[in-house]
Amino acid sequence: MKDIAQYALEQLKKAGADKASCRATKGRKDEFNIEANQFTLLRTVFTDDLHLKALVGGRKGVTIINKLDRSSIDEAVKSCVALAKSAEPDSAEDISPLLENKDFNTYSGSDMEGLFSRSKEYLQQVRDELPKIMIEGFSSSYSSGETAYVNSNGVCFTAKNDYYHFNSMFVGKEGEKGSSFNYSGAYLKDMSKPLINAGMHRQLLEEAEKSIHTRMVEEKFTGKIIVTPACSDVLWNTLMQNFLGDRCLIEGTSRWKDSLGQTVADKKLTFRATPHNTLIVTDPHFTADGFLVHDVDFIKDGVLKSFALSLYGANKTGKPHAPTSNYNIEVATGDTPLAEMLKGVDRGILLNRFSGGSPGASGDISGVAKNSFLIENGQVTDALQETMISFNILESLKNITAISKEAVTEGVTVLPWCCLDGVTVSGK
Amino acid sequence: MLQDYLTAQKANFKDHTELRAQVNTNKRVTMLAGNMVANMQTVKGGVSARVYRGGTYGFASGAEYTPESVKSVLAAATQNAIFMDTNIKKGEPPLPSLAGAPAKMELKKPIFEDIPQSILIDYARALDEMICTKYKKISSRTIIADALYKEKLLAVSDGTDNHMFQPRAMVYVFLTMETNDGVPVELLKSFSQVGRFDEFFTDPRTLEEDLDSLYKALNEKSEGVYANAGLRQCVLHPDLAGMLSHEAVGHTVEADLVLGGSVAGPALNKQVASELVSMTDFAHTAFGEPCPLPVYVDDEGTLAEDAALIKDGVLVGYMHNRESARHFGVKPQGNARAFEFSDEPLIRMRNTVIHPGKDKLEDLIAGVDDGYYLVKTSNGQADSTGEFMFGIDLGYEIKNGKLGKAIRETTISGVAFEMLKTVDMISDDMAWEISGFCGKKQAMTTGMGGPALRCKMNIGGR
Repeated sequence: MKDIAQYALEQLKKAGADKASCRATKGRKDEFNIEANQFTLLRTVFTDDLHLKALVGGRKGVTIINKLDRSSIDEAVKSCVALAKSAEPDSAEDISPLLENKDFNTYSGSDMEGLFSRSKEYLQQVRDELPKIMIEGFSSSYSSGETAYVNSNGVCFTAKNDYYHFNSMFVGKEGEKGSSFNYSGAYLKDMSKPLINAGMHRQLLEEAEKSIHTRMVEEKFTGKIIVTPACSDVLWNTLMQNFLGDRCLIEGTSRWKDSLGQTVADKKLTFRATPHNTLIVTDPHFTADGFLVHDVDFIKDGVLKSFALSLYGANKTGKPHAPTSNYNIEVATGDTPLAEMLKGVDRGILLNRFSGGSPGASGDISGVAKNSFLIENGQVTDALQETMISFNILESLKNITAISKEAVTEGVTVLPWCCLDGVTVSGK
Repeated sequence: MLQDYLTAQKANFKDHTELRAQVNTNKRVTMLAGNMVANMQTVKGGVSARVYRGGTYGFASGAEYTPESVKSVLAAATQNAIFMDTNIKKGEPPLPSLAGAPAKMELKKPIFEDIPQSILIDYARALDEMICTKYKKISSRTIIADALYKEKLLAVSDGTDNHMFQPRAMVYVFLTMETNDGVPVELLKSFSQVGRFDEFFTDPRTLEEDLDSLYKALNEKSEGVYANAGLRQCVLHPDLAGMLSHEAVGHTVEADLVLGGSVAGPALNKQVASELVSMTDFAHTAFGEPCPLPVYVDDEGTLAEDAALIKDGVLVGYMHNRESARHFGVKPQGNARAFEFSDEPLIRMRNTVIHPGKDKLEDLIAGVDDGYYLVKTSNGQADSTGEFMFGIDLGYEIKNGKLGKAIRETTISGVAFEMLKTVDMISDDMAWEISGFCGKKQAMTTGMGGPALRCKMNIGGR
């Protein structure tokens, strides 16, 4: 891969790029599919990818193709430099400086027999142990690949890796009655353990069976919600997109744009990116813009410590760069056992999935509590139906009443249960 | 244009086989607060094969497209099909024949020359300048100019071979403004067309009227109030009816999800909506006009026909691929579609629409004492239970039959087959929407649309 990437880089320079970078990847994915509790497909996909970036007088062009032969590269180089020449100059555009070049190899080899056998075992376990579960769609795959990143400052990284992944979408079914669908999966380094035991998967399947019969909240009240690790989108991804990332800071719409060093959340909250956590399976060794990844604290003990800015975002806003993997988020565990956290809720919701409108820059969030349960007097009682929750995420972070001692990983994130107060709950 | 290296391989087909060569080209320019943050072109193409044997499929794909690579992809897919048949042993017979279908569908839309990126750049820059000059109160703006072309060649063992070219051109405009207390509020307007980018987007002033409306609405939203949470009478603007037909009903009547336990399974031939409601997934022509994203042949080689879903409030059918059509004992109608060359065909919607009614939008609003007029949606999601939600970006209170204050961002929800029974008026106009992507394992371009509806829904708020 390094030779292919170097060839493309040389061609970019010859074609007139002042600065340039190239990421080349060659990979393969084999995937089993199940629909309606039946195997349906075995899919093999060869995944080539070439990502070129050229800067000409501070003007940027990007061309992406899925071919790695020289003739296709030559065409892509022409296109990339032409794009750059037609763009507007932007002094914030740059490529990463040469600091330390590295080669990574975490490849451990394919076990397709193991993958097939674990997939069959999964289906059998669901049939035997969770007879009310219908698997709407399931895929299990093994992916392997080699990637090289090079740029005209002399940066050169290579990585060879592989991993297994599965994802299952399921419902609880009893006669004509059914639960809401839920989905869950995990990235795994090997096939040593049953898939059903990964992350929160078994628990979510069991809860789908318990959610066939639901109860409607008939009034509106303000209470607590316990956000489970399965429901990371509603809190943690919203923070990354609306308050910490490139777009909201370049636009100036982030309500935290001037809050660096200030308290933005309850002191129980430490929120960070930890790509070096040994529980992370997907091996993000270097960033898309050519930096080795580092662990970064975004919020530590409630204080905003860093944004999640790329090199471009940092140059554009004048705020610090955070070379990390924004997907590998971790919330530090707290000191409250989950059982005790539940006991502390008089009336609220155990939130397993959230189906809501895309949160805006204001931080207002509203949507339906899916696959979720009512908590009454410290006990998880009935599964909920047609229940909406509304809150402002920035206000809620200041109303964190507890973070669990326990945490769960699915190979990408490491998250505990988090209890927020002041949430509006409304039924029909 | 793609060369045909597929037909020559037909002699090697042993089981039901689909060979597909495809190239997707995407050009995109993004202006974020006046900065050109994206200026890119993506070209992804290659060949795939899918082989059916004994009740399971084998699939393989590769980026190289030559006579030799077609042969090796076909061999890999066949090998996968044999592995599955040997190990799963479903013992299903071959798929029913599509005898009588035309052997080949020629290109319906001519393939045009690629356009230079400078057309998108110049347009985005001029539009950005116009917005900055004209709309003084905005605090930020994002403009995306996007062109997507898909070209496919299909050769099947049984059915209709196809050559298809589908171009889509889009412009997205996001405007942001701050409320009096400094909270940012946003609105998005998308403009989408089928064809070359420069056929439709040459002078940004042609969008001026729509952007004036967007700016006015954003001003109103910046002074908006929180909705009063609970079950309310709502009038849905035609732009929301498309989302309703796609998300709330469409997904539950895809036959793979029906087999997976969706609420539509036991509801076939039952009343699921008010008698005013009819809904169809159109193939290529709706109400005598071409659909925005026409499908003439699907990626299994099935000639596309309209799929009637709800007729006068009764659920009358599902959307199928060839295998599910056999299961339910009906004729497949061309809903099996794949987005990229490396994707296998899945059951997907095409142009899914609630039919227009006979009422006027102003009469729908005039009859509401205390409710909401919901105008723009940001996103939507449906459930196998029929429960759905839409994010609402723009809406207004209705008090005593008149529009009141704008509301802040919120979410509406309901159970499709219950909510549709509360529909008591439908407007006589309709709007199409083709700007987004449907996500169901793979992305997919789909058309959706409908008229304004009056119904009862659960609204989030405070």
